Amino acid sequence: MRIAILCSSPYSETGCAVAARLAQLGYVPVGALTLPSWDRSTLLRKLGQWGLHDSLQYAATKLAPGKSTLREQVRNPYLERALQHGAGVFRNLREVARVYNFPVVTCGDQNSERAVAQLKHWSPDVAIFTGGNILRDEVLRIPRLGVLNSHLALLPEIRGMSSPEWSLLCGIPLGISIHFMDSGIDTGPILLRREFAAAGCESLADLRNKMIAHGVELLAQAVAGLDRGTVSAIPQADRERDRQFFVMHERLKAVATRYLKEVRLSPAAGRCHE
Amino acid sequence: MNSPQSSSSGNFETNKAVRVLTEAAGLLRRPQRAISLVSKLASDGLRTTFEHRHLYSYATATVPTADALRSVIDWILHAQRPDGGIAAYYSLLTGYSDPYPEVTGYIIPTLYDSCRLTGGEAARHAAERATHWLLSLQMPSGAFPGGLHDSSSAQPSVFNTGQILQGLVRARAETGTAEIMERAMAAGNWLAAMQQANGSWSGPAAYQGVAHTYYSMVSWALAQLADASKDPRHAAAADRNINWVLSHVKPSGWIDGINLRGHPAYLHFIAYVIQGVLECGILRRRDDAIQTAAKPAWVLLRKFETHKRLLGTYEADFRGGLPFTCLTGNAQMSCVWLRLFEVTGDLRYLNAALKLNEMLKQLLPLKGRRGVVGGVAGSDPIWRAYQPMRFISWGAKFLADALMLEQRLMREFEEQSEAKCEIKPEIKPEASECA
Repeated sequence: MRIAILCSSPYSETGCAVAARLAQLGYVPVGALTLPSWDRSTLLRKLGQWGLHDSLQYAATKLAPGKSTLREQVRNPYLERALQHGAGVFRNLREVARVYNFPVVTCGDQNSERAVAQLKHWSPDVAIFTGGNILRDEVLRIPRLGVLNSHLALLPEIRGMSSPEWSLLCGIPLGISIHFMDSGIDTGPILLRREFAAAGCESLADLRNKMIAHGVELLAQAVAGLDRGTVSAIPQADRERDRQFFVMHERLKAVATRYLKEVRLSPAAGRCHE
Repeated sequence: MNSPQSSSSGNFETNKAVRVLTEAAGLLRRPQRAISLVSKLASDGLRTTFEHRHLYSYATATVPTADALRSVIDWILHAQRPDGGIAAYYSLLTGYSDPYPEVTGYIIPTLYDSCRLTGGEAARHAAERATHWLLSLQMPSGAFPGGLHDSSSAQPSVFNTGQILQGLVRARAETGTAEIMERAMAAGNWLAAMQQANGSWSGPAAYQGVAHTYYSMVSWALAQLADASKDPRHAAAADRNINWVLSHVKPSGWIDGINLRGHPAYLHFIAYVIQGVLECGILRRRDDAIQTAAKPAWVLLRKFETHKRLLGTYEADFRGGLPFTCLTGNAQMSCVWLRLFEVTGDLRYLNAALKLNEMLKQLLPLKGRRGVVGGVAGSDPIWRAYQPMRFISWGAKFLADALMLEQRLMREFEEQSEAKCEIKPEIKPEASECA
């Protein structure tokens, strides 16, 4: 199985974790295509998401870990296992690539001619999207099977942004969907769909981190399933219905947080389906 | 609102040139205004040069809603002239304008709402003075004049009469005064009499002499009057006009027939069409009108969420327009989304309105002279096409409405969610078919 990784930054923990986890399972990527470390839109997004202090701290631990502990070097503690290597952790994609011997190519835009040419050269069976630009059809068509994405909600119920928060607010079970990407927002065929247990999650950030880590495992399972031919994609029902959600305002997030506290106590949450 | 200038003038360009010269001369009369002018031009210039929107724009609360609301209501109170009329605008060049009957009318519900919310008697007193002034302007036919109060050739205006009618209906409900009801009935009867057989309003009492779909705001006023008067003629007139407006809906959600000569379809007018249809639909219990209003409202919501802003103007079918912000139109869309949340329960409307209000609050001047602090500029940046160099009273009215609606709906929503948590909801995992 030839796999390409698409990343928003060489320092993306999720990108590193996906590449490392797949390689650990024997699916060494044929290459990783990443946006530059200083991509403006990624930086602005992270500043908005984490705030200045956390963003600077993240940059510091990735660029100059110094005496920081392993735990401090990984922002998402649930990815620690996937990122662990020897006595340390992978701090960026190039370190993963060096160990498992695959190329990392930086491009200004994942839809650029250069990116398209590189992907065509790698001729992947499947690409895994862990962040970056909104991909154009030309890019989506390059991998033989398609481009996979891990979406942090059950599809088709909740599409778009802030999906765990919207799941809580709308009374939809928390979940993760692994799906092929198409020209719509989270409208592509679904490969895996699992409900997710919120038990033990202290905050929305904690929930999101846990779900991201779970999504990495599910992506690995999906790749293995595709390789063995044990999973197949199913087109989404009522694709035309507009179920897209957008970035949630913090006042609604505060209500979602209250719901999270209730959900995590509920024995009903967390059933898994495959 | 229509242009405060004479609505029947055929010489639009000449009027515009005269206006520019008059405003420029205003700065010569009061050179000290140059400080506010330069300061606003510089701050808008800097912001538009360096500010870049990103995915999380406006998702964080930066200005408390109550503070912003207080500041906007204070701006409205300061804009009230000694005779009781509210100025149309505060110009950075010429200062406060003459009072404007149309805005004075439909700002009355805003003042009463503010009084209810904060208990501030100043707003109630202002509403009563505004009502008194308006009653003194009513024509024997029941109509109200268009244009600013000092217009030498004031003509009866359908749109302005409709907008003022909103204020009269509310003033009557608040005070129980029989005379106000009689005057409101006279205005409603005049509107019904002036209506064309197809449900539109055109002719000399219509802006530029032609029919406009944004007169759905007049239908809303008639529907309010019908609720109060129980007179079927007013309800029928409102329904007829809404039927006419609904016949202009295109598959894209765009509602044709804004029909303004000499200037583009500003978001303000597009939002008028939607708001009038929606509110009339709610009052008349017409699902067809609510659904029709929801369609363009959703198109604009998607545009706001995707691009982090709404354009100042749109061409037919929302195909593009001028890249500036019409703040009044934004405040109106916030009102529309909040009402759609109230009607449909779809939280995406509430979410978008919260973010839009964040943007509007951030653009509210909190420092400066009277007329500037708490004022809503016509355009952002202030020198762009819609009411340049002015803080406009109808912008303040719609922002105050949006902030008060936000406060009420968020309070209700938070109370409901607390109650829901208290009874420990069980989020049921539905049987989820997986691949």
